[in-house]
Amino acid sequence: MKKRATQYANAASEDRARMQPLTFLQRVQRWLGFDIARTQYRYGKDARFGYISESRIADTWTKTTCGYCSVGCGMLVGTRNGRPVAARGNPDHPVNLGKLCPKGLSEHLMIEAAGRATTPMLRRGGRGAPLEPISWDEALEVMVSRIGSIQERFGNDSLGVISTGQLVTEEFYTLGKLVQLGFRSRNYDGNTTLCMASAVSGYKLSFGSDGPPGSYADMETADVVLLIGANIADNHPILCNRLRKKPGQVLVVVDPRVTKTAMMADLHLPVKPRSDIALINGIAHILLRDGLVDREYIREHVEGLEEFVSFVADYTPEAVSATTGLTVETVEKVARLYGEAKSAFIGWTMGVNHSTQGAHTVAAINNLAMITGNIGRTGSAPFSITGQCNAMGSRETSFTSALPGYRKFDNAEDRKALADLWKIDEEELPTARGLAYPDIIEAAVKKQVKAIWIIATNPVVSFPNLNLLKQAFETTEFVVVQDGFYPTPTMDYADLVLPAAIWGEKEGTYTNSERRISKVNAFATPPGEARSDFDIFLALAERLGVKDRLFPGWSSTLDAWLEWQKVSAGRMCDYSQFSWQQIEDEGGKQWGGERLYGDGQFPRENGRALLHCVPCLPFVEQPNTEFDLILNTGRTVEHWHTRTKTGAVAMLDAMSPNAWLEMNPADADRLSLRQHDRVTVRSRRAYVRDVELRITGIVAPGQVFMPFHFAEQNSNLVTLGAFDPISREPNFKQCAVRVERSALK
Amino acid sequence: MALPLQERAMETDSAELVRLTLVEGGAAPSLVNALIPSRPLEAGEQYRFHFDMTKCIGCRSCEIACNEQNGNPADIKWRRVGELEGGIYPNVMRTYLSMGCNHCLTADCLRGCPVDAYSKDPITGIVLHSAEACIGCQYCVWNCPYSVPQFNPERGVVGKCDMCRERLLDNREPACVNACPENAIQIESVNKNEWTAEHSLADSPGMPPSGQTVSTTRITLPEKSSVTWLDRVDTGSIALEHAHPSLVVMTSAMQAAFGLLCGLLLDRELSAVSLTLLLFVTVIAINISIFHLGRPAYAWRALKMWKRSWLSREVLCFTLFLVTLTVSTGVAWASLLRPALESAVTPLALVAAMIGLAGTLASARIYLVKARPAWNMMHTPLDFVLSAFLMAGPVMAVMQAPAVWLATRLQAVGLAVALPHVAPHPRAVALAAILWIANQITRIARLRGSANFERHASYNHLRGEQLWWKVALSWICAIQAVLFLLAPMPWLSLAAVSAAVLLNRYLFFVSVVPLSMGLTFSSGSHGRAAS
Repeated sequence: MKKRATQYANAASEDRARMQPLTFLQRVQRWLGFDIARTQYRYGKDARFGYISESRIADTWTKTTCGYCSVGCGMLVGTRNGRPVAARGNPDHPVNLGKLCPKGLSEHLMIEAAGRATTPMLRRGGRGAPLEPISWDEALEVMVSRIGSIQERFGNDSLGVISTGQLVTEEFYTLGKLVQLGFRSRNYDGNTTLCMASAVSGYKLSFGSDGPPGSYADMETADVVLLIGANIADNHPILCNRLRKKPGQVLVVVDPRVTKTAMMADLHLPVKPRSDIALINGIAHILLRDGLVDREYIREHVEGLEEFVSFVADYTPEAVSATTGLTVETVEKVARLYGEAKSAFIGWTMGVNHSTQGAHTVAAINNLAMITGNIGRTGSAPFSITGQCNAMGSRETSFTSALPGYRKFDNAEDRKALADLWKIDEEELPTARGLAYPDIIEAAVKKQVKAIWIIATNPVVSFPNLNLLKQAFETTEFVVVQDGFYPTPTMDYADLVLPAAIWGEKEGTYTNSERRISKVNAFATPPGEARSDFDIFLALAERLGVKDRLFPGWSSTLDAWLEWQKVSAGRMCDYSQFSWQQIEDEGGKQWGGERLYGDGQFPRENGRALLHCVPCLPFVEQPNTEFDLILNTGRTVEHWHTRTKTGAVAMLDAMSPNAWLEMNPADADRLSLRQHDRVTVRSRRAYVRDVELRITGIVAPGQVFMPFHFAEQNSNLVTLGAFDPISREPNFKQCAVRVERSALK
Repeated sequence: MALPLQERAMETDSAELVRLTLVEGGAAPSLVNALIPSRPLEAGEQYRFHFDMTKCIGCRSCEIACNEQNGNPADIKWRRVGELEGGIYPNVMRTYLSMGCNHCLTADCLRGCPVDAYSKDPITGIVLHSAEACIGCQYCVWNCPYSVPQFNPERGVVGKCDMCRERLLDNREPACVNACPENAIQIESVNKNEWTAEHSLADSPGMPPSGQTVSTTRITLPEKSSVTWLDRVDTGSIALEHAHPSLVVMTSAMQAAFGLLCGLLLDRELSAVSLTLLLFVTVIAINISIFHLGRPAYAWRALKMWKRSWLSREVLCFTLFLVTLTVSTGVAWASLLRPALESAVTPLALVAAMIGLAGTLASARIYLVKARPAWNMMHTPLDFVLSAFLMAGPVMAVMQAPAVWLATRLQAVGLAVALPHVAPHPRAVALAAILWIANQITRIARLRGSANFERHASYNHLRGEQLWWKVALSWICAIQAVLFLLAPMPWLSLAAVSAAVLLNRYLFFVSVVPLSMGLTFSSGSHGRAAS
C-alpha cells in the first residue's frame, strides 16, 4: 500500500510544511523564522477537556462506540464546524471508563484520511482494464442486472455474499433479509467466520445456543482468570485493566508465544502449538480425580458425565505433560488453582478459534466450566472475547449461520415464527444454512458460485492461502466490492466498486463481546458520493423490486432497529427491552443481563448442557525437514486487521510500519540469520518475501510468528487453507514453513 | 504564584478535591488511584513523573495522547515508548519504557541553550522551553542524554514535553497520565536535595545513567532477578543522525579562514590583497552558519548566553574574529596611503588569530557533550585545529594567482601595492595531512575498542556499508591534496582538501550515536522512513 498524503492533523512535519498554501512573502517569513506556525500550534481551552492544542478543541461532542475491536469502548468524538478533531474515551461508559487504546485515540483522524472511496467505479473495459468512475444509478443497475443474469443462468445460489463484522446491527439485519429473501441466495457469510465462528459453534455444541455467558466484570471479580490463546494486551488492550485489580487474583495465560499478555500473567504456560486441548482435558482429569468438581451442578444441569469421565481418564498429568511440554507439577498446579477457585473465568480468542478443532476446543473449555459450575455466577464464565466491533451483532441478526434471533434453520417452529413476523410464506425461508465463507470461495473455484459481493472486508489480505482466493476471483464472472476505502487490495479483483460510509458517518448499534448493545452515532458526512451501507442495501432492494415487501416504508436504520426488536423479542438475544436513547444514555445495555444461564437452564431440548469428549489431534500441517518451522500469525496493538484504517493514521503507521518475523535465537543461529535481515517465509503453497527478521526469545525454538496486517508482506500467502469441519474457521495459527534470507531484488 | 492545586489543597482536607483527575477529564475516579500528588508541593520540592514498568502493557496510548494534546506532527513524539527484552524462552521478559521529559535537576538542555529559551519553572520544577525565544540551533537536542527535545522543521524551533503544565495549573492531569489504561504514569512530588543525593530510582535498563543530569523520573522496575536480563532492542537499527550540511560547510570554512590567517602570519604575507581574500572567505563562512538555524533572522540572539553556553561563545568569538579581521584589512588598505599604519597590521592580525583559535576551540567545545560520546573526545578539537592547518596550504597556493592579479591591477592605478607571495610550505602541509589522518585513525580505533555502547555504535556506522568508503575517500583526498600541491596543481589540491575535510565533517555528524532511551524494534525503520 502506498503511503497516503493526508490532512494536516495526521501529517508528518515535512508534509505539513508542504501542504500549506503559502504566498511568497509567507514563505520568506517562514524561512527566516519570523513565522513559526504559531496559529497551528496554539493552545486553547476546551470547555470539557481543558487545556489542549487549539486544533483539538471541539464545538460538539458526539457519544458513540469505537469501531475497531469488540471490547466496545464508549467514545466521545469532538467535531468543530462539522469536522472531526478529537477522540476521547467516554468516562461514563461502563466498558472503558474513559480509557482508549491508541487506535481509538486516533480514530477521528481516520475519517478524513486520504484513500476513502468516493464514487462508484466500474471496470468497463473488462478484467485488466482500469476501474472508471460511474454514477450510482449505473452502478446499481449494473449490479442488479449482472447478478440477475448470472442467477438466471446458474441458479440463485450462484451469488456468494461475504460481509463483515464492521456494519451496524441494523445493517446486518437488513443485509440478511436482502440476500436471503431479495437476491434469494443462501450462500451468504461474514468474515466473522475467519474470526469467531468456532466460538459460536462451540457454544452451540455445549449449551445449545450461541451467546457468551459472562461479562467483563467477571474478569475483575474472578479468583482465577485463565486466558487461552488470547493476547488481549495487543488485541483488546482496554480489557487488561480488569485484571490485576482484585488482590489475590491469579492470572494464568496459556500461549505458545510469550506475548504481552503472557508477561502480565502470574503463571504463563508455554504450551506446544495446539496442545491446549490436552491441557484442558488434563485439568478435567485432575479435577475429577481430586473431586474438585461441583457434583450438584453436574447432577442438575449437565449431561454426558459418564462418557466424559472415561474419556479424560487417558489424560493423565504425565500424558498431558508429554503433549504440552509443561511439567507435571505445572499441570497439577493449574488444575488445583482452577478447581479450588471460588470463581474461575476462562477467556479465549483466536489461539483457540483459528483452528481446525476450534469448535471442539471451545466445547472442551466449556466442559471445565460445566463440571466446576463456573458458569452463570459472578466471576465465572467460559468467555469468548470476540474480534470485530460488531461481530456479535452479526452473530445475532445476520441470517448467515443461523436465522435472525438465534433461530435454527432446521427448526420448523423457528421458521414459522419468523415467517409470521415477516409476513412471508414459510417456504421462502431456507431449511439449512448456505455455504460458509471458505466454501463460497471453493465453490467459486469450482465455478458453482459465479458472482461475489464483498462488503467491508479485505480478503486479499485476510483470507488464508491467498492463491486459491485469487483463482476464485479469476473464475468468478462478477465481483462487487463495497468498502469505505479505495483502493483496497481486494479491489484489484473488483469489477464494480461501491463506495460506502464508515464508522462515524452512520447511526445504529454495535454489540460487544459481553453482549452489550451500544449506540453508534454519526458525526461526519460520507465523502463524495459514498453512501451508508444501509442506503445501498435499500437502493438494491428497490431495484430488485422487493423493498416494499421486505422493508416497507423503511428510510433509516431506526426502522431496521424497530423491526429487529420485534424479531428478537422473547429470544435469548432480546433487543426489545431497550430503546436507542436508553442505550445511548446508559452506556449500553447487555441483552440477557450481566450473565446467561444463572438458572442452570440451557437452550437444549432437555435443558442440560452437554459434555463433549474432545480428542487432542495433531495440527494438520506438521513441520518436516523441508519445512521445519511452525508459523503462527497474529496482531499488533497499533494496527487493525488489514490496515485499510490504521494504515491511514500516520502515527500508527509509523509505529509499526512493516511486518516482521519473530524467530528464536537458536533457529537464527542455525540458519545464520541476523537481526533485521530481510527474509523469505516459504510454505508448500507460496512464499512471502522481504520480511524483517526479529530475533527474540519470546517465540519458542522451532516456531516463528508473523503479524497478519500487512498487504505488502502478506502472511496469508503462506497460511494453510484448512478449516474447522463444524465452524468452517481457517487454521491460521499453525502451518509448516521454512525461512531463508531474501535474495536482493 | 501558587498553583490552584496547592491553594485548594491548603484550604481543604479533601483528597478528592485536590486530585487532578476529573471525571470530565477522561478518567473516572474508580479507575484512578493517586495519579497526581494529593498534597501541595513543599519547599524544596518539584513535580516529577513516576513510570511503573510493572504496569505498562506497551499499548502506546500515551504517545498518541501526547501528540493529540500538543497538536504535534506524526513524526515528532514528545513522549516515546521503548521496548526492553531479555531471557531465554520461555523465561523471557519484554517490558516497556514510556518517557516524556525527565525534568532534570541539572538539565543540560538548559545549560547549553545560547538564547535562554529554557527555564526551570520555579514553582513546579518543570523544564520549560519557549518556542518564541528559540532560534532552532538544536544545541539542546545534542545536549540532552535522553534525546528529549525534538526539532520541528515546520516551525524551525525545538519542542519538548512540559508535563502539560497548563493542565496541571488547571487541576487536570497530563495527557499521558490521563490516557494510560493501566495507570502506569503518575505525577509525584520529590524533594530536590534528597533526590540529588540519592537518585538511583531514576535508573533503568535502556536509560542512560541518571546521574549526568539528575533525571527526576522515578521508574518502578520488575523484580531484580529479571531486570538484569533486560536490554534495548533497537540497537540493531540505529539510524544515521542528521548531516547538518550547513554546519559541515560552516565549520570547515571557518577553520579554513583561521588556518589561512595563521599561514599568512607565518608567511609574513599580510598584504591588503591577501587579507581581503581572507575576509571574503570568513564572511561567506559566517553567513552559511546561520542557515543551520531554524530561524536565521534571529541569529543575533545567539550571543545572549555567552556567560554559560559554548555556542554563544563560539558565535561571540567568530564575530570578534570577523571584526578584528575587518579592522586589520582596513588598516592594511589604509597603510597604502599612510605607510605609518603598516606596523599595526601584524599585531592586529595576531589578535585576530588568537581570537580565531579561541573560536575554533569554542566551536569544538560545542561538540564535547556527554550525550554524544563519539564527539566527546580530544579528537574533536584536534581535528578542528588540524583541519585548519591542512586547508591553509592549498588555499594559500590557490590565492597566489588572484592575489598577484589584483595587486598588478592596483599597481596599474598607482597604488603602492607589493606583489604578494603566498606560498605554502609543502612539508608543513604534508605534516598537517599526516597528523590529520593519524587523528582520524586513532579516533576510529578508539571507537572500535570502546566498551561504551554509543561509541562502538558510531564505529559500526563508520565501518558500515553506507559510510566505510566515504571514510577511505576522505583519507585518500587528504593525501591527494598534498600530492597535487607538490605537482603543483593548486586548484586540484584545494578541491581534494575540501573534499577530505567536508567528507570527514559529514561523517562526524552522521555517525554520532546519541545517548537516548531504548526505543522500539521498529523505531529504526521509522527513522529511515522519516528521513
